[in-house]
Amino acid sequence: MENAQLISLSRQVALQRQMDVVANNIANINTTGFKSEQLLFEQYMMPVAKDKDFSFPDQQLSFTDDWTTIHDMSGGPLSQTGNPLDVALEGKGFFVISTPQGERWTRAGAFAINPSGTLVDLDGNPVMSEGGEVKFAGNETDITIGTDGSISSSAGAKGKLRVVEFDDPQATEREGNNLYSGGTPVAATETRVVQGAIEKSNVSGVGEMTEMIRVQRAYESIAALMREQDDMRRSAIQRLGSLAA
Amino acid sequence: MQALYIASSGMAAQERNVEVISNNIANMRTTGYKRQRAEFQDLLYQSYRRAGSSTSEQGTIVPVGIEIGSGVKTAATPRVMSQGDVAPTEKELDIAIRGEGFFAVDLPDGRTGYTRDGSFERDATGQLVNVDGFSIQPGIVIPDTANSVSISPDGTVEAFLNNSTTPTTLGQLQIARFANKAGLQSIGNNMFVETGASGPAQSGTPNSDGMGDLLQAYLESSNVNSVTEIADLIAAQRAYEMNARVISGADEMLQATTQMR
Repeated sequence: MENAQLISLSRQVALQRQMDVVANNIANINTTGFKSEQLLFEQYMMPVAKDKDFSFPDQQLSFTDDWTTIHDMSGGPLSQTGNPLDVALEGKGFFVISTPQGERWTRAGAFAINPSGTLVDLDGNPVMSEGGEVKFAGNETDITIGTDGSISSSAGAKGKLRVVEFDDPQATEREGNNLYSGGTPVAATETRVVQGAIEKSNVSGVGEMTEMIRVQRAYESIAALMREQDDMRRSAIQRLGSLAA
Repeated sequence: MQALYIASSGMAAQERNVEVISNNIANMRTTGYKRQRAEFQDLLYQSYRRAGSSTSEQGTIVPVGIEIGSGVKTAATPRVMSQGDVAPTEKELDIAIRGEGFFAVDLPDGRTGYTRDGSFERDATGQLVNVDGFSIQPGIVIPDTANSVSISPDGTVEAFLNNSTTPTTLGQLQIARFANKAGLQSIGNNMFVETGASGPAQSGTPNSDGMGDLLQAYLESSNVNSVTEIADLIAAQRAYEMNARVISGADEMLQATTQMR
């Protein structure tokens, strides 16, 4: 009988975690280049090893196990900003940012120029081009970035933004600050660079709200189920434990 | 359950967003105002099951892990330093900069302020000052006897003195530019001051070396676009409401937990 309660508990814990994922998606509904996340579940069979030799063989029970979060890598809407250093990516590519911890990938193309003239992200980490960091002299104007990522200014060509793609983007890990790490980057072939725009978050408000209501109701029903089980157990104990029986 | 805290970080971020938008709308008619935009970043992720950890003695690994985020933060409110429209004012000491550059102004505390607001006046001594009475660098004095002051696109200030038929040069206006003008600190009164992020000011003559040119009797309007701001405001408001809804949802789940007995 306790099994029923433990199975319910496994579901409850998983639902709480799913609520966290939904909350994080909604919190980041206006975050540049944010990709929504989904939690996947699988059934976990217990006992793992079973014995069929008994007259009543071990019965398998399936628990809920949350086993992965996947990134929804669909493109977010592009929003025009008119800022020449805002760049968005169309397609599955990522910009390469050089952080003190190593190279990181990002879809958030809100860049700036630091006092030494280097193109950096909003945390001040340099944005990489094919030939390393991108530098601008103080008197350069008219910075343009072509659809292939090639940068030019009044001082001529400045190289090409490094854009990478992943055959398996699910292998990348989220680092916070709109950065991803890991995975196997390959040079981008089907990504277009758009200057003067940023990619909004791809979180769908309606979808997440529906998901939240579903999670909430599922949680309530499992809580009710646990209450029923508790009642059952209590009445069993009372019935079986009474001296009159 | 973190959902409560995650959603509250979302509400705080959207509140900040609305503040930025309302400041833009409030300054829609401010000369030389540059609009701001709130930029957000996701917070750290908690790995419950790390990708790449082994799942068996045969060397199989977890292909993708469980990562649960912890909310959102405001990363920056960069200014969009695009050119605002220039509007004619028919006032001879109104100057708009078309292109790169800022006017340098002596602030009373000894610092130099930088502004795109070129609505200048003459003070009692004929000194060229801004609307707060702070003098413009380099100092230019326009004598009482001066007639029809003209300011050329390259910043040369000329006037006809004492009914003379040939103009006299009174001075040369300079403008300043920055490596990272989005890194300037705003101090109000349409004024910016340089910071470590903006880099030092590089002064120069207008209309040369990448500097913008000057337009006399014009003022630069703010670059706020009302339609974009209202659309952003609606998006921010709805995002705020959705985060609030998550908080009440998480609360109901916790209530269901406490009533489980």
